[in-house]
Amino acid sequence: MKSFTCLLAGVLLASSQLSQAADLTDASSIVKQAELAAYYAGDDGRSAARMLITDAQGRTQNRQFIILRKDREDGGTQDMMVFFSRPADVRGTVFRVVKQVDGDDDRWLYLPGLDLVKRISAGDKRTSFVGSHFFYEDVSGRSVSEDNFTLQKSDGDLYVLEGKPKDPASVEFTRYEVSIDKQTMLPVKIRFFDAQNRNYRLVEALKVETIDGHPTVTHSKVSDLKNGGSTEMQFRFISYDLGLPDDIFSERSLRTPPREWLNLKD
Amino acid sequence: MKEWVLHLAVVKRKWVFWTVAVLTAVMVARLPNIQIDTDPENMLPVDNAERLFHNQTRETFAMPDAIVVGLVDDCSVYQPALLADIKALSDYALSLDGVIDQDLMSLSEVDNITQEGEGAIRFEWMMKQLPKTQADAAAIAEKVSRLPLLNNTLVSADGKAAAIYVPIANKNQSYAIARLLQGEIDTFASKAQWHITGLPVAEDRFGYEMFVQMGISAPLAGLMIFILLWVFFRNIPFIVAPMIVAMVTVLVTMGLLIGMGFTVHIMSSMIAIFLMPIAVVDSIHIMSEFSDRYRPGADVGKVIEDVMSHMFTPMLYTSITSTVGFLSLMLTPIPPVQIFGAFVGFGIMLAFLLTVIFIPAYVVSLKPETLDRMQHNLPDESSSRLAISVRGLGRLASGHARLWLLGFAVLFAISAWGISKIQINDNPVRWFKADHELRVADRVLNEHFAGTYNAYLVFQIEGDTGAVVAKAISSAAAGVQDSGLKQSLSELAEQTDVGQILTQLDDLLFDAATDDADKLEQLMLQLEHINSASKAFLQPQNLAYLDGLQAYLQQTGLVGKSNSLSDVVKTVNRELRSGQQQDFRLPASANGVAQVLLQYQSSHRPNDLWHFVTPDYQQSLLWLQLTSGDNQDMSAVVTQVAEYVKQHPLPEGMSYHWAGKAYLNVVWQQAMVAGMLDSLLGAFVMVFVMMVILFRSFLYGVLAMLPLTLTITLIYGLIGWIGKDYDMPIAVLSALTLGLSVDFAIHFLERARETFRKTGNLPQALHLMFEESGRAISRNAIVIAMGFTPLLFAPLVPYITVGIFLASIMAISALVTLLMLPALMSVLQRWAFKSQPAADNNAQSAATK
Repeated sequence: MKSFTCLLAGVLLASSQLSQAADLTDASSIVKQAELAAYYAGDDGRSAARMLITDAQGRTQNRQFIILRKDREDGGTQDMMVFFSRPADVRGTVFRVVKQVDGDDDRWLYLPGLDLVKRISAGDKRTSFVGSHFFYEDVSGRSVSEDNFTLQKSDGDLYVLEGKPKDPASVEFTRYEVSIDKQTMLPVKIRFFDAQNRNYRLVEALKVETIDGHPTVTHSKVSDLKNGGSTEMQFRFISYDLGLPDDIFSERSLRTPPREWLNLKD
Repeated sequence: MKEWVLHLAVVKRKWVFWTVAVLTAVMVARLPNIQIDTDPENMLPVDNAERLFHNQTRETFAMPDAIVVGLVDDCSVYQPALLADIKALSDYALSLDGVIDQDLMSLSEVDNITQEGEGAIRFEWMMKQLPKTQADAAAIAEKVSRLPLLNNTLVSADGKAAAIYVPIANKNQSYAIARLLQGEIDTFASKAQWHITGLPVAEDRFGYEMFVQMGISAPLAGLMIFILLWVFFRNIPFIVAPMIVAMVTVLVTMGLLIGMGFTVHIMSSMIAIFLMPIAVVDSIHIMSEFSDRYRPGADVGKVIEDVMSHMFTPMLYTSITSTVGFLSLMLTPIPPVQIFGAFVGFGIMLAFLLTVIFIPAYVVSLKPETLDRMQHNLPDESSSRLAISVRGLGRLASGHARLWLLGFAVLFAISAWGISKIQINDNPVRWFKADHELRVADRVLNEHFAGTYNAYLVFQIEGDTGAVVAKAISSAAAGVQDSGLKQSLSELAEQTDVGQILTQLDDLLFDAATDDADKLEQLMLQLEHINSASKAFLQPQNLAYLDGLQAYLQQTGLVGKSNSLSDVVKTVNRELRSGQQQDFRLPASANGVAQVLLQYQSSHRPNDLWHFVTPDYQQSLLWLQLTSGDNQDMSAVVTQVAEYVKQHPLPEGMSYHWAGKAYLNVVWQQAMVAGMLDSLLGAFVMVFVMMVILFRSFLYGVLAMLPLTLTITLIYGLIGWIGKDYDMPIAVLSALTLGLSVDFAIHFLERARETFRKTGNLPQALHLMFEESGRAISRNAIVIAMGFTPLLFAPLVPYITVGIFLASIMAISALVTLLMLPALMSVLQRWAFKSQPAADNNAQSAATK
């Protein structure tokens, strides 16, 4: 069970068959469905991501990478590889993640410039994802089991739920409000609040497209409402159920990327 | 004109009183709009290039003003209870509005990068959980000691002090935020010492102390003058007149300054205390003469008219010379000093006008009985203690003229020698007294840490990447087939951000036909290459240059610590590799550096990177922490860096510029030292020319300038000899004291000539000079010197310096005048009085016109 505070992985999946005819009233079943919609669409998936990081002064940085994902089981363990292509000086940098439902994720890192493979201790997952306003946890997914949810509102097209962390010391927020689209079951907006009840962080789905039958977030944005600055992420060339072989999710792929699976034009 | 003024004063009295009252009321109404300015930056004009660069640097590298909270414990700050306090205070600070969260630096808010087990690296909060045991606390100490950016910045090397940097968005909130922090600290049970300091706090305290000064010292000066006047004249209604002149002068001048929208800076906060004694001296001359001449039953109007016609010209000239002294401050390039000079200059002329119009009107309006009583109560001047001392002085002066002059010449030589030993130095923190809480905090924190004074060295790569990029795009556009694509490319060539251009090329690529797509891919590779090459501060050799400079700075002894991008890269590289010291080095390639930094950015504080480099990697900031805020030390570092760069030339295309408060202080001090010389010379020449015109004699012009020349040389020589730093207040005072101290010489020479004309005998004339005239001059010197002494009780050091300095310069100047001029006159009798009476008629007409 993982999260959905991140729309990023939303790219990778989402399942329209989850959408319900009648409104749900149980918070935990809503978040579970949302998690599946956002992070487990199809059995595997690929997408090319582009990030535009804008700081409070309006200065920008770019990041470009391809994500490959394969579910070992729906709603369970997932394999993930992130291959960086831009900026040119970080090209060839690769992350490998094994997302665990219970316990910490396993993460590896390859830095070609240092010719170095390193295991990264998961530690705190609410750190910046490569300098962007997205957190690692936004990418891999925050487990729904980490928060207690209550359904706040259910009018129009949206469910609005409030999440409160079970271990407040482990996170920087005291609560968040997530709006979930009743049709797609994708989280479309998440507002994080601090101890003073200030909404300091905003995660939004700016565009949702249906790809291979899966509603998918293709453009999302995280804004730092306190210090200024934001990161936009676009997903392109999304495909599901490619039949990615298990052996590409391996340490070997760090140094030797599986070229055939990274060629987006095919 | 003189007659007209006097007529106006005596005949249209009501009109005079009402005008003064209305003018005062109008100006007093402006006073509540007062704006205090405590920013030392404002010592430089807003468009000063160095100041602009400093502020640009602070913005580019996100270096806001910060409140610094220091915690000192005699054993160690690494104790569970103290670390808990640090976390509590940090959390509290983060909860406050106006605090810039992402830049707050505290043990509880920074990341640790560390090795974990075999081949794993871990990024985590330094204090994710508060340590419960002493061993846990010691583990944090161990972590901090491994991180060069934190060690000796967040916690001192000896482990006895910790700091929390609370950056604030608007420094006007600093007082409120500091108060709230103090309130939180007061709730802590631990017994460690806490200090709150930092520039915004200092500026705020400074503004407060300025109000204290204006609210206490200025009224005290008024009281002091009132008491002195009473001692001299023993009649309240009579001495109320000069007090009114002083009050009106101060209120109107300050009202005008505030009304014109000027801020009150440390200099202008002293306007009141300067104007008060200066404003009453002319009145004292009139009143001395009046009380000498008035006899019960006399026609008051007639007596005052006599006095005025006698005194008008010397008063006019002394007022003008004083004004010139102050206006010469406008030659300095320091705006607050210019404003101070301009408004005191204005105030002196206003005081002169008030004196010649208001005083006669007031005296004429007094009841005859009051004047009679005044006359009756007046102590017998000729036997007062003052009179006896002045007479004694006269005897001293008239004997051994040549010996005196020889003595003065020797004194002058010794003083000139002393001037050559003057140390130019300043440090705004030392504007607070040594026992002020901010000075204590400053001292304690600098004892423990690598330094709380900041200077920044900004390195910059020159080069026009934009032009190269545009050219590459244009030539690619020429090669493509598709006309729509051609158009899109030529639009792209207009843009400047290579990252954005690449993103858009990427979009174009997927719609392009195969042939064009190949060309686009080539272009993208080319642009990527240009882009990578432009990122100068990813190049290991450039970082190595910073590294070398840092090592050099460290051994100069003046820089406690320096922090740069190189430290960041080396630290992360070490942890990515073995965690061992041998890997504390720069990667071999630019890509390696970029990838290390990508990891650094994956922390809780990704923006910390931008304190050291811009996102285009074309500018890098080297942050120097100095333990001393003395301009002398900062200047020495500037020289050392220049020397280093000379011996180790910068990589090609690279340049460096200084920024930071410590550096800016040096800039304005240098501007002031140079400006003050201009202002002193300017004032000297102008006053000298005026003296020649006044006395219609070159020789008398020289005579008038000699006492003050000796006095000023003597005072500055003394400063050189005793080793007191030549700082802001001392620099400012040189020119203006010239304008004030020449007054004594004017009055002395003027009256000496007149007395000589009456007696025709120099020794006798000089003897008489030490009666009434000597008393009037001494009285003025006492009033003006004593008038500044309340500054000795002021809370800020510059005020005290001004007080001591002005009081002594006035006293010494009067003394030197009374000793030197008689001696000179005796020696130069042949020339000074040769063409008598012809020359005297001239002088007479000049003096009485």
